[in-house]
Amino acid sequence: MFFLRICWMAASSLRANLMRSVLACLGVIFGVAAVVSAMAILEGSTRDAVKRFETLGADQIIVMNGSDGGRGSRNAVSLSLTHSDADALGELESVKNTAPESLITAQIKHFEKNLSIQLLATNQNYATINGYKAVRGRTLTKQDVVSGRKVCVLGHKVARQLFGETPTVGSRVRIGGIGFTVIGVMEKKGFLGMRDVDDQVVIPLTTGLTRLFGNKYVQFITVQAEESSELESIMQEVKRHMRVEHSIRAGEVDNFRVMTKEQITQQIGGFVQIMAIVLYSIAGISLVVGGIGITNIMLVSVTERTREIGVRMAVGAKRSDILLQFLLEAGVVSVLGGGLGILLGRGFTKILENVTQLLETYTTPRSIILALGMAFFTGVAAGLYPAFRASRLDPVEALRHE
Amino acid sequence: MIELRQLRKLYKMGDSIVHALDGADLDIGAGEFVSLTGASGSGKSTMMHLIGCLDRPTSGTYKLDGLAVNRMSDRQLAMVRNHHIGFVFQTFNLINRTSAVDNVAVPLIYSRKTSTRAAAMAALDKVGLTPRASHKPSELSGGERQRVAIARAIVNEPKLILADEPTGNLDTRTGEQIMAIFHQLHAAGTTIILVTHEMDVAAQAKRIIRMRDGKIVADEMLDEHKRTALQAEARDARYPVGSPT
Repeated sequence: MFFLRICWMAASSLRANLMRSVLACLGVIFGVAAVVSAMAILEGSTRDAVKRFETLGADQIIVMNGSDGGRGSRNAVSLSLTHSDADALGELESVKNTAPESLITAQIKHFEKNLSIQLLATNQNYATINGYKAVRGRTLTKQDVVSGRKVCVLGHKVARQLFGETPTVGSRVRIGGIGFTVIGVMEKKGFLGMRDVDDQVVIPLTTGLTRLFGNKYVQFITVQAEESSELESIMQEVKRHMRVEHSIRAGEVDNFRVMTKEQITQQIGGFVQIMAIVLYSIAGISLVVGGIGITNIMLVSVTERTREIGVRMAVGAKRSDILLQFLLEAGVVSVLGGGLGILLGRGFTKILENVTQLLETYTTPRSIILALGMAFFTGVAAGLYPAFRASRLDPVEALRHE
Repeated sequence: MIELRQLRKLYKMGDSIVHALDGADLDIGAGEFVSLTGASGSGKSTMMHLIGCLDRPTSGTYKLDGLAVNRMSDRQLAMVRNHHIGFVFQTFNLINRTSAVDNVAVPLIYSRKTSTRAAAMAALDKVGLTPRASHKPSELSGGERQRVAIARAIVNEPKLILADEPTGNLDTRTGEQIMAIFHQLHAAGTTIILVTHEMDVAAQAKRIIRMRDGKIVADEMLDEHKRTALQAEARDARYPVGSPT
């Protein structure tokens, strides 16, 4: 009851000096907005990463270029994977299928229509491994790949943008200046791994490597295991086999990396963590600045209300009562600021979402409670010194204050 | 009720020491109506602060209602002020942003009373301000503000009221109304100490204590005769012979 009354007193004194209270709030508003945005963005990117890799099958192993050494070695990736590695791995008992994949950005043209797309050069197994089906025409066949035919399969969105509703199979398009025949259109899929495959065009690996990519190496090989429950042991087998295939002697490091979906997800989690540290540091700094603003304005308020403090002491306020009153004033300012900050942060992330179209953001109840708690804590910490000063005033001196 | 023995208060002013109160001995009984007068610098304010438990003496003892106040902690003094003493100031010292009734309720909040409104309204009723309860101090006249301040002083039903120049900022007529309230409170048994340098106000008490240079120089009971003489003296001082009245 007493506590509530002191709260009410704090609120009414804040209302009496509205402009100043708003100014005191401002720092906290922006600080909390930063915290809320940071959390919403992190939550969004985490969910996004999880969602993307959920579409990868649990039976997949990815073989990549580069070595398994330290972080530094990843920067200088030496290409070593070839399509014959994929074929060799496909021979293994425990492996069902393999698909070598190489990806570049390219232009696709159909008369005056011109689109920028992801061009994937791969083999006939790509569609089967990923359970990715054609809605019109067909996907690549072994014959397409072996003979290096100039045929392509369009992603859902590419087909719609180039042709609209008109029939597409059999049409001629130009990719990177070379003529291709459209043999099929894929179903609407969205994300498959890291990329939106609706924006993708698939061509035979051999055609891509010889005519467009200008090298004989592939970027990665997707390996589909026979038994997803034995993924770990199959991964070891793939590693051993790759070392033989690449003639790597005992003691030498691998010139390739093998990862499962789980490991890739973990790696993404690591990136998200780094991002979290950066974002939270920025948000934390702005909250501290907000707190300094409160301290500043509370000090002015204490000086201005010295006489009131004297009167309160004269009618029986203990030092602890005065301390509590000013602490709560700071607390109320910061919680109000926190509330407004949450709204502002939410608005900001919504705008970010709509403008960039990159990611969705999520403001969870947990992050709201956390933000309000941080705001309150900042306020109380910021109010500590001014409130202490107020409580240590000498009543006689305070009453004399003009 | 009040027992002061060799009460001293020293202040350091740079290198010199000021004897604001220089060994005062004083007894005031319960229910008395006492004026404390003296020129500025005479020590009457220091005396009031000490009696009001706002300050501690440098030496000497002070017993209020048998309690050794001079040995109490800040916290205990705050509780004594809250329960036993009501202050009335020259400049009213109301909190401007809240209503009259909320101002009156402030001491009740600090005594952790659960319901404050009824008691605050009752105190306002005693000073005849019930109709103005929801007005803010800025919407009240000087006399009304002082009545709110008196209501605040009596809301916890203290035994002692300390009034520091309560009529100093008011015109004569309003001042008389305020004094009438003090007389009522006195009649109801409250001990009243009135600090003032105005002789005609001081003369309304039953006992007058005069101070000079930190010492009590006179302490006398006032009968009708002395009171009339003091009031005449005060009038003469205000309207010197020969000036138009």
